[in-house]
This record gives sequence, structure tokens and C-alpha cells, in this order.
Amino acid sequence: MNLSYRLRLLLVMLSICVLVGGGLFFKKLLIPDSFGAYGPYRADAIKEAVLIPIRHRTNTSCFKCHPYEAKIHKKGRHQTISCEFCHGTYADHVTEGKKTGTLPVKKEKEITTLCLRCHNTEIKARKEAVIKTVAMPNHLKDQDVKLTHNCNQCHHVHAPLKYIIRAKQITGMMEVGS
Amino acid sequence: MNRRLFVKKVLNGTIAGSLYLVWPMKSGSLEISEQIPEQIRGIKNREYDIHHQEFAFIVDITRCIGCGSCCVADKREYNVPDGNYRTWVERYVKGFSDKIYVDSPNGGLDGYQHHRTDIDEKVRDTFFVPKLCNMCKEAPCVQVCPVGATFKSPDGFVLVDEKRCVGCAYCIQACPYSVRFIHPIKKTVEKCTWCYQRVRKGLLPACVDVCPTGARKFGSMKDETSEVYNILKGPGVLTVLRKEMGTFPALYYKGARREVI
Repeated sequence: MNLSYRLRLLLVMLSICVLVGGGLFFKKLLIPDSFGAYGPYRADAIKEAVLIPIRHRTNTSCFKCHPYEAKIHKKGRHQTISCEFCHGTYADHVTEGKKTGTLPVKKEKEITTLCLRCHNTEIKARKEAVIKTVAMPNHLKDQDVKLTHNCNQCHHVHAPLKYIIRAKQITGMMEVGS
Repeated sequence: MNRRLFVKKVLNGTIAGSLYLVWPMKSGSLEISEQIPEQIRGIKNREYDIHHQEFAFIVDITRCIGCGSCCVADKREYNVPDGNYRTWVERYVKGFSDKIYVDSPNGGLDGYQHHRTDIDEKVRDTFFVPKLCNMCKEAPCVQVCPVGATFKSPDGFVLVDEKRCVGCAYCIQACPYSVRFIHPIKKTVEKCTWCYQRVRKGLLPACVDVCPTGARKFGSMKDETSEVYNILKGPGVLTVLRKEMGTFPALYYKGARREVI
């Protein structure tokens, strides 16, 4: 009688221990380590988010290896344009300081299409104070050039007024209102 | 100097010279921290105190020209699958009858090359509205996530834990700004993160960096010299989208008409 009572007590204690231990074990197993450090989520997810590789750099990174383009680009009206928008991402070109890919260069009609993404008067939401826009093909007619001309035949793509200003300096041409 | 010594010295010199040329230079000389400039002050090469950070994003509608640079940069930065957009640009056209026409062909990825031809009435006002994650202070998406995969980090970013997300899409329904989508391959939720990994390196988000007109501005509110701090401090009218929802976004719009939602 006495023995069986002790045995039963021991059995109950043991089962409680197993249950609690098992519960704790499963809790540890199911809840991620960093859960709850900042709130009801896995705090390590923030650390993982920081490790995502960056694909775009800045113009400064491009200018390091392309000093010729840098010189023109920095002086021109297009200085606020990112190199990577027209040419592609840094990550597609350089990995760990070594060139790993060639970025495509826009040609002919592609350039005109690219220019008109921003400089098309047809879109009325573009204010004069923000961007200079042109209507095509009126602009070509006004300038007395062939209608097949691409923008880059008169405008340097990195500094659009580079040749225009130079031409004016050489010919001494004056504009109305200047 | 005798002949033997001369030959010895020349040989030594040759060996030393050739060794200098072929010896591998110390790799990793182009350290990432050296290469990238500091676009957001006070982050680079400093201990990042996650509990004492505040960032703000301002979209200046009056300067947006709808070129779609931001959309292109965003797609390239994250290899966003076709048909999904982490950020996009909407075109609003307002007729004289006060009717609003909104469109966003391919999210503005191809830019806006032509005006809308399907509007019969005379156009009164037209503008572009870039859209992205509002980083709400009271984010509905965080509240509804059943597995704690979407959370608001102590520095104010609403992020998604890819490893926890089960793809139930509850947050997609909850987001008042429709910035979330299910990644077709990963089957987890994706959204604009304001380029968290770039910000932590002191870089601007990709869309802000490529914006040619300065329509998108980003900066730290802890830095009193930052542009966003001074705009938010100043008297200019700034609005947030869907204020009545009580989400308290950290994304502000400058020049947004009341029709913008």
C-alpha cells in the first residue's frame, strides 16, 4: 500500500517532468532563436535584410574607371542623370573590383527613344522649370536638319549643350533674346 | 667590383624584380566602404543604433516628369519579375468636368512616350504620381500577418522575413496602398523596402539615386542638415496618402492634389 502510493507519486512527478521538458523542448524547436528580441518577429531577419547585395552603385563608382566620360558628364546639363539608368547596373559590369560583363551601348533610334522618355513635349506634366522639352518632328524642322536625324547627332548624350555652345562660340551666332 | 660579384648582383636584382612583378598583390584593395560615397550622413563607418533612427521619404509631384528611371532602377536592383512592381509611376489626367483618368502602362517602366488619346474632354491638369511603400507607423500589414513574417523594425522600416512568410497574402489585402505582391517563384510576399540594405550602407535608395529631377528625396530625420529634415521642418504643404486610414505614413507627398489616392 505504502509502496504503491510512493510509486504512484513518483510516476505523477515523472510524467509532469516529461511533459514540461517536452513542452520546453518543442518551444525551443519551433520558435526561432532571435524571435522577440525587438518584437513579435525574428530579429535576425533585419540582419539578413542588410546582407542583400546591392546592384546599383552611384555615379562616383562609375567615374573612377571612366574619367573621360566623367569630365564631360559632370560639366553638362545631364549631370543629375545616373549612369546606370542608360547603361545598366554596376553589378552587371563589375564584381569585386573586376570587370565581369559588358554593358550594352544604346545606338541610333534607341537613343532618340531614350531622350524622348523625358524630353517629349507631348506629355504636358513636364514643367519648363524642371525640364526642357521638344516636340518631334517639329524640333528637327525648326533646326533645318533631316527628319531622320537622331538626337545624338547634334547633342552630346552626356552634356547635351556641349557642341551647341561650342558651335555658337566658333560662329559667333547669337540667339534671339540673348 | 670583380666580375663574379657583378654577375651575382645583376642576378639578384633580376630575381627580385621579377618576383615583385609576379607576387600576388593584396586582393580586396577595393574595399566596399572606400568605393561607395556617403549619401546619407551619419551611417557609414559608424555603429548603427537601430533604436535611434528615423527616416523620411518625400515625393515631389511638381518635379516628377514621368521618365520611369525609378521604376527601371527598382526592377534592376531586385530583378523584379515582369508584371509585378515594387514601385511604379501613375499618370493622373484631370478633365474640365473634374473627372479623373489614371493609368500606369507597365508601371511606368517604359516611360510615358505619348499622351492619352482616349480622353474626349479638354484636359485641365495632368501630373505623375510615383508610388511606393508608405512605411506606415501603424502598418496594417504588420497587424494582420499571422506568422510574424512582416514586421516593423525599430528603425522604422516595414520588412518581410522571407523565411517565415507562408504566402497567405493576407497582408496584400490589408495594405491600403497596394504595394505588396507574391513573388511568382519564391511564393513569398515582396514589397518596397526603401532599399534597406543600401540605407544601412549609407547609400540612398536606388530610385532616389537615379531620379534625374530630384522628385524623390530620402534622408535621415536625425540629421538636421538633411534635405528631408528641412523640408519637413519648413512651411511647405506636405500630404500623406489616405490619411483617414490612420496609418501615419513616413512617405510624404509635395504638390499632391486632393484627388491623389
